[in-house]
Amino acid sequence: MTANQQSNEVTVKHRHRPEGPEKHILVFIFSIILTAIAFAAVMAGGVNATFAVILLLVMAVLQVFVQMGYWMHLKDKGHLMPILFMIGGFFVASTAIVMALFWVWW
Amino acid sequence: MAHAHAHGHSVKRYTGLMDWITTVDHKKIGILYLLAGAFFFGIGGIEAILIRIQLIKPMNDFVSAQVFNELITMHGTTMIFLGVMPIIFALMNAIIPLQIGARDVAFPFLNSLGFWTFLFGGLLLNLSWIMGGAPDAGWTAYTPLSSTEYSTTRGVDFYTIGLQIAGLGTLIGGINFLVTIITMRAPGMSFMRMPMFTWTAFITSAMILFAFPAITVGLVLLSFDRLLGANFFDVASGGNPVLWQHIFWIFGHPEVYILILPAFGIISEVIPTFSRKRLFGYSSMVFATILIAFLGFMVWAHHMFTTGLGPVANALFSIATMLIAVPTGIKIFNWLFTMWGGQIRFTSANLFAIGFVPTFVMGGVTGVMLASAPADFQFHDTYFVVAHFHYVIVGGLVFGLFSGLHYWWPKMFGRILDERLGKWTFWTFAIGFHLTFFVQHFLGLLGMQRRIVSYLPNQHFDTLNLISTIGAFLMGVGVILFLVNVVLTTKKPAGVANDPWEDGRTLEWSIPSPPPEYNFKQIPLVRGIDAFWKEKMAGNKGMTPAEPVGPIHMPSPSILPFVMSVGLFIAGLGFMFSTEDFSNAFMSLIFNKYIVMIVGLVITFAAMVARSLYDDHGYHIEVEELEEEGKA
Repeated sequence: MTANQQSNEVTVKHRHRPEGPEKHILVFIFSIILTAIAFAAVMAGGVNATFAVILLLVMAVLQVFVQMGYWMHLKDKGHLMPILFMIGGFFVASTAIVMALFWVWW
Repeated sequence: MAHAHAHGHSVKRYTGLMDWITTVDHKKIGILYLLAGAFFFGIGGIEAILIRIQLIKPMNDFVSAQVFNELITMHGTTMIFLGVMPIIFALMNAIIPLQIGARDVAFPFLNSLGFWTFLFGGLLLNLSWIMGGAPDAGWTAYTPLSSTEYSTTRGVDFYTIGLQIAGLGTLIGGINFLVTIITMRAPGMSFMRMPMFTWTAFITSAMILFAFPAITVGLVLLSFDRLLGANFFDVASGGNPVLWQHIFWIFGHPEVYILILPAFGIISEVIPTFSRKRLFGYSSMVFATILIAFLGFMVWAHHMFTTGLGPVANALFSIATMLIAVPTGIKIFNWLFTMWGGQIRFTSANLFAIGFVPTFVMGGVTGVMLASAPADFQFHDTYFVVAHFHYVIVGGLVFGLFSGLHYWWPKMFGRILDERLGKWTFWTFAIGFHLTFFVQHFLGLLGMQRRIVSYLPNQHFDTLNLISTIGAFLMGVGVILFLVNVVLTTKKPAGVANDPWEDGRTLEWSIPSPPPEYNFKQIPLVRGIDAFWKEKMAGNKGMTPAEPVGPIHMPSPSILPFVMSVGLFIAGLGFMFSTEDFSNAFMSLIFNKYIVMIVGLVITFAAMVARSLYDDHGYHIEVEELEEEGKA
């Protein structure tokens, strides 16, 4: 009896209105466009190499934000802790990378 | 549905040794961590005594230079990774869920896995003593000294593989406590109402999460260099030995804060309790803890001032290092102001806590001295450095751990440690500590090198070294007195009050000592900082429950973590000896063809598959059982 009540409570607490697939389909298309632009910049040839690298990096950064925000739900409520810890991890990892690239093998 | 399923299912309960091997109860895992940590602490202590005997007089030949190198390496490695870290985890396991009003940690199975991987990693590392020589390249294992060219025994392989396995356990434990503290706090316990020990455990766990991957990468690279012929650190093949120093210290400096922050937390619990005052400047304590953790990741190169990083880098890392004195100073003054005007009781726990404050300040002052790059060129690799880090690790952390053990012993075991013996422990240990390490500052300034096996007479080293060795023996006496205290206390009947110190402020003192396996019959409602004290001051007998009495969901015990760790242990041994030349054809077959390694990995993966395929929903303690226990 009590167990039933408990599990009911749990479902009520976790019930939230699903967003529907529209946004995710849009985001998915956007991701593919980002990839396509990056791909095209290299495959088409004739694009200045420096420009291509910068374009690739920009596309990559946008892609990361889209993936993290939508598919890993970081844009949703209650994700402050994962965001904080990801920033922390990014900070420490980039310290190590900068150290190795520009300091040890400068 | 899961609920209905679990209610019908009766759990297999183990007894005796099997109970301990299969337990997923955070309180029992805490005791396991304590036992294992004490065991390794003992080994590290014996190594320290042997080092001090060798150095008692000039040109001593008590041990050979090779054995001395092995002793100093294993003393440092054992004490840090296998001695004090597990004892920190012991206190975190035993206390954190109680302090936040939770019934267990977030992942009880992982908690057990973390312990067993740590234990088997530690055992593997210490097996080196009887399997061809211990690691001998210092606890920092600097390349090229730790390369196969200069370290020809298997010692450094035991170091890389053993620490790898033990480090896995630490990482698992850190993640577990992060999730536990974020998600399992009782209703009403906001972040800014968490006890300080919980806060420091939280920040320490975050630091473990960020720092341990660095050492993992470093150890993998080093073991690849040694066992698979890679050349990450080999100059002749385009590698760079300075890279190892960077990787090691990117981990190594956060590591020392991983060690000291929980001690800060313990002191912040003990001093308010025995001053009958709330902690002075709680929010500044939280802020200082976070700031120390943040700065701790940006100062690693101060261990490498003499490597030749250049004046700009040295200056920047000097300043960053000195900045850490600011949040640490905030903490020191907060403790002093907490005691100010309080009704101080000098219990053993509080003696260690109060002794901690000036001792740690002394270690901090030499830390600021060492932070100055030009001065560091004089101090580097002398006994001045040895004195400094023993002042912060022993005078800071070990004092903190003794304080915490005396303070929480009744909560963990239901028996209070003998106060008279506790005070003897404090005075012998504290006096022994200062005798041992205070003089080492001057030995360093006089020019005695760190890690030196012997020294010539008449360099003003003789008397100071003798004093230092006498002090080391006195510290040994202190530890033995503590063990005697533990044995005598264990023989006493259990059953102290919920709040044996009578001035307990936090949630762990609101439940029986030792707590039942489910900790809280009803999860408490937290109405302010120092939740239990607040209720006491409001005239309430106990905490206000936040839920009705109901069946309590418990995790099932499992042997799988133990099996997984055994598998890793076997695989580690197999990998390590894969390059060994065996005279025996059978040994050659099973090791050189990686058969032992594969068998070990198969055991681990089989256990992981078993864990994944078999859904264990745990079991429930029903209301009737709870009521019966309440009557008894």
